[in-house]
Amino acid sequence: MERRSVALILAAAAVAAGIGLGHASSMTAAGDARAARDARAARDARKTAWGDPDIQGLWSQKYQTPLQRPARDANKAMLTPEEVAQREAERAQQAASAPKRGDRIAPRGTLEDLTGAYDITFEADPIDTSRPLGPRTSLIVDPPDGRIPQLTPLVQTRMREMRGFMLALMQSVDACRRSQDIACFGVTPGPVSPRRNEPPPYYLAAQIMGDRVINRADGPEDFGLSERCLAGNLPSFGVQQIVQSAGAVSIVYEGFHRVIPITTAPHVPAQIRLWHGDSRGRWEGNTLVVDVTNFTPKTDYQGSREHLHLVERFTRVDANTLEYVVTMDDNTTWEKPWTVKVEMALQDAKANAIYDEPRCHDGNIALKNMLTGARMDDKNFAEGKGPDPATMCYLLCGTGNPEYARQRQEGRSGGAGPAPAAPAAPDTGARGTRR
Amino acid sequence: MKAGAMRSLIAAVAIAAAAVAIASFGTRTSGQAAQANGQGARRTADGKPDFNGVWQALNEANWDLQAHAARAGAVTQPGIYPYDYARVPAAPVLALGAAGGVPASVGVIEGDGQIPYTPAAAATRQDNAAHWIDRDPELKCYVPGTPRTMYLAHPFQIVQGTSKVQIDFAFANAARTIHLDAVDDPPADTAMGFSRGRWEGDTLVVDSTQLQGNWLDRAGNFYSETAHMVERFTPISNDAIHYDVTIEDPAVFTRPWKISMPLYRRLEPNAQVLEYPCVEFVEEFLYGDARKKQLVKHWEGDTIVIDITRRMRPRQVGER
Repeated sequence: MERRSVALILAAAAVAAGIGLGHASSMTAAGDARAARDARAARDARKTAWGDPDIQGLWSQKYQTPLQRPARDANKAMLTPEEVAQREAERAQQAASAPKRGDRIAPRGTLEDLTGAYDITFEADPIDTSRPLGPRTSLIVDPPDGRIPQLTPLVQTRMREMRGFMLALMQSVDACRRSQDIACFGVTPGPVSPRRNEPPPYYLAAQIMGDRVINRADGPEDFGLSERCLAGNLPSFGVQQIVQSAGAVSIVYEGFHRVIPITTAPHVPAQIRLWHGDSRGRWEGNTLVVDVTNFTPKTDYQGSREHLHLVERFTRVDANTLEYVVTMDDNTTWEKPWTVKVEMALQDAKANAIYDEPRCHDGNIALKNMLTGARMDDKNFAEGKGPDPATMCYLLCGTGNPEYARQRQEGRSGGAGPAPAAPAAPDTGARGTRR
Repeated sequence: MKAGAMRSLIAAVAIAAAAVAIASFGTRTSGQAAQANGQGARRTADGKPDFNGVWQALNEANWDLQAHAARAGAVTQPGIYPYDYARVPAAPVLALGAAGGVPASVGVIEGDGQIPYTPAAAATRQDNAAHWIDRDPELKCYVPGTPRTMYLAHPFQIVQGTSKVQIDFAFANAARTIHLDAVDDPPADTAMGFSRGRWEGDTLVVDSTQLQGNWLDRAGNFYSETAHMVERFTPISNDAIHYDVTIEDPAVFTRPWKISMPLYRRLEPNAQVLEYPCVEFVEEFLYGDARKKQLVKHWEGDTIVIDITRRMRPRQVGER
């Protein structure tokens, strides 16, 4: 992720935080009916010159809400204002003791220090305090338990096979004999696996920054999509700038964009597979409804690849709030469809006008350097000057803060089904940056 | 006078004015002459020319903005004669046969057709041309930058919003936002630059600053990070836009100069900008030499063997 876009996202988040707090404090039961009426009135008034509902603007997620409902909130979809306040205080306390940007994560000069050179700056904050906690306990509103439905046997098998391949490449890593590092979770130390010479059993579609999953650097395909500047796909719950015309709606996300034609035309032919899918939009009352299909098998959203089918609904529920509801439907991946609802807060268009240019790729010196470094390791080993690369850790071994590791582990095991092959998305549900 | 008659009169006056313009300035102004027909072009609900839709330049500008003859290959080497006009395709494009050549163009630069480089910049341009494969950002799938992104051989879509005009490009997943509203200055330079737009009559005028500096074509033409650009989008008809861009960059050019061309609407009823995800396409180009096992080998067996040796210095941090 480019440093500039980080700063701008933080700026946007700070604005969102201000709006969100104001909103939370105004949420009284007595005011609900009036608020709903006002919202309807505001909504009806907000039309473009050509008569469509106006959803234009720069929008950012309003609350810090986990994608899936945590175990502590089972059977509890909503928090009371008192509970929200209590959890805000807990979060602030945890954040104070959590690793900070710039924290050294392993003793200087150790292998872990080197391999962990991407410090927490490049990781999702383990405790994100940039947004207020919302009243809901999960972004998922359906199924009612707030959890992603059970994965199909087909996908469970795929994930098991991917996991097996990952573990095979980790079993010879020295660091996993010595520590309980998060990167070594589930690894049974052993000899160098012959699978080191095989391609992954499925296209490696891991997206999350820093979460390399294959302990090998033979070529670009061994890296995650983020490191290849190919990540950042739908559904996206992050910052978005919406510009609309009578016939099309353009949305620029962090690092990629899409155009949604307003049309009744069918989707593009099935042989066309797209990183961002093929969108078809229509207006239903005040809601923009978008049907998205034709995804490429190179993407992976929570286990769903080319069969992912999204139905998105964008509704401006009041002047400063855009409600984004998206239903994920793929019966090859999940036993039933599931739906996420995200409240987006309008950002100050003057202060946040520019927020991203997709330049991940233009500045991707790191991938070449990592590959070149791995070739130097090969050469050193061949000349008897260095260890067998199969015993070295090319993942984030060494991000060894036990508390951080524990939280990451919780995040990983939070998904449905068996331990996922690709790491579960962070709780915000956001995906990595593309380009 | 009825509104329709008034429009006819305006159109007639405009055509007459354009005719005078042609007489005065020669054929270079044919674009503006055609603009007069744009008076009747479709408009948006707020009365502006309607640029919404999928568009594409249809010319050879991305090969070379200046007038040039066709040549045998995008990369050539001396043939058996010592003449420049008798060069032959070089190894990197030889296997592409007739698809590997360069089409001719009369050029898209107004006036004398020349780019007014300073002597030092002219030398850089020649050096760029000599190292095209290793240096052209397009080949690396970098963000193509303004204005080159407007005349690549890929379509783009204009979404003309209330306070922004968004342009989404097929190539490299690039995009531009033209701000019609008041916005703060950006924190950093970008390849596309920072674009503020305003309407002057039926012309959308776009002023871009904070550009990173970039290439303008495959011939090595370029500008620097001190450039300032003014683009003008004027309707010719429902289906054509007169596009020009004036480039000012005292570090590279001795005076402002102007590129001028039509942009054409893609008229297919199902026209759609489909992604050209070249980031993944260029992995072998950029990283192939750092693979453990090389994928692209010398050809073998009964097929042509082309020995391609590429000598590239390592990319420097921040190098485009």
